[in-house]
Amino acid sequence: MKAELKALAAIKPKKRMNGEYLLSLVISILAALLVGAGIMLISGHNPIAGYQAMLNGALGNTRAIGDTLAKSATLCLTGLAMAVAAKAGIFNVGGEGQLYLGAIAAALVGGYVTGLPMVLGIALSMLAAMVAGGLYALLPAWLKVKLKVNEVITTIMLNSAAIYFCSFLANGPLKTAEKGIATGTVKIDANYVFPRLIKLSSLTSSIFIAAGVAFVIWYLMKRTTGGYEMKLTGENDRFARYTGIKTDNLALIAMVISGAICGLVGMFEVFGLHKRFLDTVSSEFYFDGMLVAMIMRYDPIGIVLMSLFFGILKIGSMGMEKVGIPSETILIVQSIIIFFMAAESGIMRGIKDRRMRKRAQKAILAVEKEAAQ
Amino acid sequence: MSELGNIFNIGLLQNTLRTATPVILAGLGVLMTDHVGIMNIGMDGMMLCGAFFAVLGSCFLGSWMGGLALALLMGLLLGAFFGLFVVKFKSDEFIIGVAFNIFAGGLTIFLLRSIFGVAGAFSGNAEMPIFGLPKLSLPWLDTIPVLGPLLNNNTLLVYVSWVLVLLCWLLIYKTPLGFWLRAAGEHPESLRSAGISPDKMKYIASLLCGLFGGLAGAHLSLGYLTMFTENMSASRGFIAVACVIFGGSNPPKVFLAALLFGLIDALGLRLQSTGVSSNLTSMAPYVVTVIMMVVVVQRGAARKRKQAQLSTASGN
Repeated sequence: MKAELKALAAIKPKKRMNGEYLLSLVISILAALLVGAGIMLISGHNPIAGYQAMLNGALGNTRAIGDTLAKSATLCLTGLAMAVAAKAGIFNVGGEGQLYLGAIAAALVGGYVTGLPMVLGIALSMLAAMVAGGLYALLPAWLKVKLKVNEVITTIMLNSAAIYFCSFLANGPLKTAEKGIATGTVKIDANYVFPRLIKLSSLTSSIFIAAGVAFVIWYLMKRTTGGYEMKLTGENDRFARYTGIKTDNLALIAMVISGAICGLVGMFEVFGLHKRFLDTVSSEFYFDGMLVAMIMRYDPIGIVLMSLFFGILKIGSMGMEKVGIPSETILIVQSIIIFFMAAESGIMRGIKDRRMRKRAQKAILAVEKEAAQ
Repeated sequence: MSELGNIFNIGLLQNTLRTATPVILAGLGVLMTDHVGIMNIGMDGMMLCGAFFAVLGSCFLGSWMGGLALALLMGLLLGAFFGLFVVKFKSDEFIIGVAFNIFAGGLTIFLLRSIFGVAGAFSGNAEMPIFGLPKLSLPWLDTIPVLGPLLNNNTLLVYVSWVLVLLCWLLIYKTPLGFWLRAAGEHPESLRSAGISPDKMKYIASLLCGLFGGLAGAHLSLGYLTMFTENMSASRGFIAVACVIFGGSNPPKVFLAALLFGLIDALGLRLQSTGVSSNLTSMAPYVVTVIMMVVVVQRGAARKRKQAQLSTASGN
């Protein structure tokens, strides 16, 4: 009897440890960097010099470090936006559109509601960005929850729609009358502009707000019942519903938060760098953030750390351009990390299954031996 | 009135066919994986790779056939890759799809810069011209009004796509293989107990999907414009996924949905000539896709409700 119990215990899978996941993450990253080195070799560049140029470009001087931090903040916020929705079971691929709408809404408030005290002006613009992004995210979430329309497709479609719509506004009815400006809305009140923290770098004081937002999201996801309910909903929405959680409302709220964060990211770009809405305000920032979130399995702290690494990769890739290596090499490296990490659970499961089978066989043999005696 | 005449004319229908063809081909690929229960949002990336390798093959092998062959080969490779991750490693198909799209974007721009030494777009040069797909023309067709100019002078893949719609329909609904493919998605357990591996069916569907993605890409870059531009797939892969959902994965219905999309796209292009902002007209296909998704899902729900009512009524 005892032996049989032992056999059963051997089959029972051991709890998956975080250390194991971290190990596969490190291996994946190293392997992807190796692939990147291979690509550089094939295209006739020295990989060591390439990666050196990358590190130099990302961390070589204070300006570079500032750029890297600013990039990491953007990645972190977009990644958290993805994570909040994904944890509640909605796949928000539409952050790019929400970012654009947030950017233009904030730019309009900052451009037309001038003369307010700085704090009030910025707060109002932030609110506008969050409302615009949040409402735009609410639409596909509502369609998903009420009508069961697949949100992946609708959010992707709404991305393109929003980007074209904002371009239309910035080139048409809302185009600035300023001379010498080909495209863009009116300049925002100079008083509202986020000051740069390091000369010439894109690091502005918005990073403090970003850090605050990240903290709030972490707290929300990890330390509140709402966050726990979201997690339950994302993992098994039927179970969550039986326990009395209003899963539909939760999904809607999560998506609005996600959209609001994206809107804020757009506002930071406008108020920190461009000082007006430009239709080039983002170049697929959200998709980079999505990658970060997916690699870290939507864990908030993991996202913060990984966005630092991805920030180095992203800004460093510009440094690689200086030694003649196309910056897209890094894009390939990043997607390979995803491929490895997405395959990781399957591969690990295979290895574990085999181990488990062996353990069970051993245990069964032991049981048989005992019975024979 | 003359303005309307400028918009609604034979050119509109010709444009419809042109813009619909890559979506039709991509849609056929997506519906293959849809039948085995995989939603492939990586189609956009597959198309993009297909478009690039078609140009590459056309330049280096010196003929459109070389371009088509390389695009198909690349499609097959990507399909195998997709199958490997989704079937063998049991990865999340959405994550793999998103990764595919980012990977394809990076890879094609990287190769564009390192092989052709240009950024943004490549439309061939004196040493390396791009050979586009041949256009088929039958002089006797031109004698038929409307239909003649519409059906004539299209590139090869336009006609091929029509044949493929029919072939796919036959494959899925009239052959054992098609039956197994559908069973792999709907009742994998029964299929397994019948002695056929559902995983094998999923691999076959992934490979077919890749092939169609390659074809769709080849039509993008070698069809009417012989050039490759960064991100030239412009979310068409996603529109194809939407068309598959509208069409319930039935090839002829998906074909009609893709034509409808083509018509909207073409209408947008026409409206530009009357002075409507190109940014606004470019929005049209995406907005219409969202609206159509809602309509289709609503209709499906209404049908289900009706069935439920009928069954309860007969039960009483």
